[in-house]
Amino acid sequence: MSGWRQFMAILRKDLIRELRTREMIISMILFVLLAMVIFHYAFGVKEDVDLTYFTGGMLWVTFIFAMLLGLNRSFAQEKDERCLDGLLLCPVDRVTIFLAKTAGNLVFLLIIQVVAVPVFTLFFVHRGYGADLVLFVAVLLLADLGICALGTLLATISMNTRSRDLLLPIIFLPLIVPLLIAATAATTTIFATGASFGSTASRLLFLLGFDAVFMVAAYGTYDFAIGE
Amino acid sequence: MPLEIEVDGLRKTFGRREVLKGLSFGLERGGFLSIFGPNGAGKTTTLRVLATLLTPSSGKVSVAGHDVREDPMPVRRTIGLISHNPMLYLDLTAQENLRFYADMYGVEDRDARIDGLLDRLELSHRRYDVVRTYSKGMRQRLAIARAILHRPRVLLLDEPHSGLDPRAVDILDGLLAEIRDEHTFVMVTHNIAKGLEWGTQLMIIENGRIAYEHAAGVDPDAFVAVYREHVQEGSVL
Repeated sequence: MSGWRQFMAILRKDLIRELRTREMIISMILFVLLAMVIFHYAFGVKEDVDLTYFTGGMLWVTFIFAMLLGLNRSFAQEKDERCLDGLLLCPVDRVTIFLAKTAGNLVFLLIIQVVAVPVFTLFFVHRGYGADLVLFVAVLLLADLGICALGTLLATISMNTRSRDLLLPIIFLPLIVPLLIAATAATTTIFATGASFGSTASRLLFLLGFDAVFMVAAYGTYDFAIGE
Repeated sequence: MPLEIEVDGLRKTFGRREVLKGLSFGLERGGFLSIFGPNGAGKTTTLRVLATLLTPSSGKVSVAGHDVREDPMPVRRTIGLISHNPMLYLDLTAQENLRFYADMYGVEDRDARIDGLLDRLELSHRRYDVVRTYSKGMRQRLAIARAILHRPRVLLLDEPHSGLDPRAVDILDGLLAEIRDEHTFVMVTHNIAKGLEWGTQLMIIENGRIAYEHAAGVDPDAFVAVYREHVQEGSVL
């Protein structure tokens, strides 16, 4: 029960702070929208070019780079005024901190996607995918969870290093590639031809496995990662 | 009197650098240990080990009967840390900061406790303002509220008077006087007058070792002479 109260306290604190300053969300939304405009002009200059088969890749590359911006900022506030010390002084299981931080990053990413996905659809998707919406949301949620779990773990590890802005992408991007491949394949299928649950099941299972692996990894290592 | 803090052979290394080289001391419940020493001597590192923010490389450290390495959770419930860094979220209000920490510690009478502390620290009128708009002294007062919110038995003070205006110093001293009898204190300070005034035990740490240890009651001039022997301005002996 105390773990749940602490989880909610950290999450509430992060959400209040972000909704007040909008530092992270505004920069992520701007990045995502600008990336789409750039993709539109870079790849869509000829009217006969069919970008449908690149849509999944463009969408997830954009979200992953946007999340990198957010991850750096989400821990920068904890370093200000040594707030991290204040947090670590509390009698809280370190895994609770990880789960709350991951949940916070997930909420921010979902807010970005609520804005970005309709704009992306308008720019790049020429086929209605209403029938596959549930499947698309499932891909979105599972991939988001993996991005946020891995990202939170690595952002925690890198925050105590001098070159954290550089280190985080260097360790995050190679590790996120398997998730990127699965999410891109599933999303492209949905956007291009439509997908059944059966044809996407293996991708969804892979994403679920990816999430599980990094949640378990964080469970086992977070005490060390957030310590000295 | 039982020992509230026991340190036996504490060593701490960062990479190849040994910062603490086998400290041993004890502090009775209700005692007040004033730690002096030059910059870089290991005073704050000692405090951070007691606070469970650093893990000892070797040696045994216990607070309120709990080992800081093996059993840190009860230690964290027992201690409060007041440092020159306030550990407050600048974009939250005073009330939001205190509610956050109260929830983290499971303070049962949360709102009444926060009201009482904000009144005592003369911050009630600014409770809904974000901390970023506070002066240094006001932030430090709020940091005191944060540190004692959960009624810790042991208070760790890391240069608590540093950067405070006279009014804030008066409030801090008044508050420490009020709670003096209910707590055990460890204070790291360069302020000899304050350290001698409050301390029941005095210690000088130099280059990771205890260079001087004495019970309270030492002649201030004699202590200043000893302090000068061990601490030279801007250098580590």
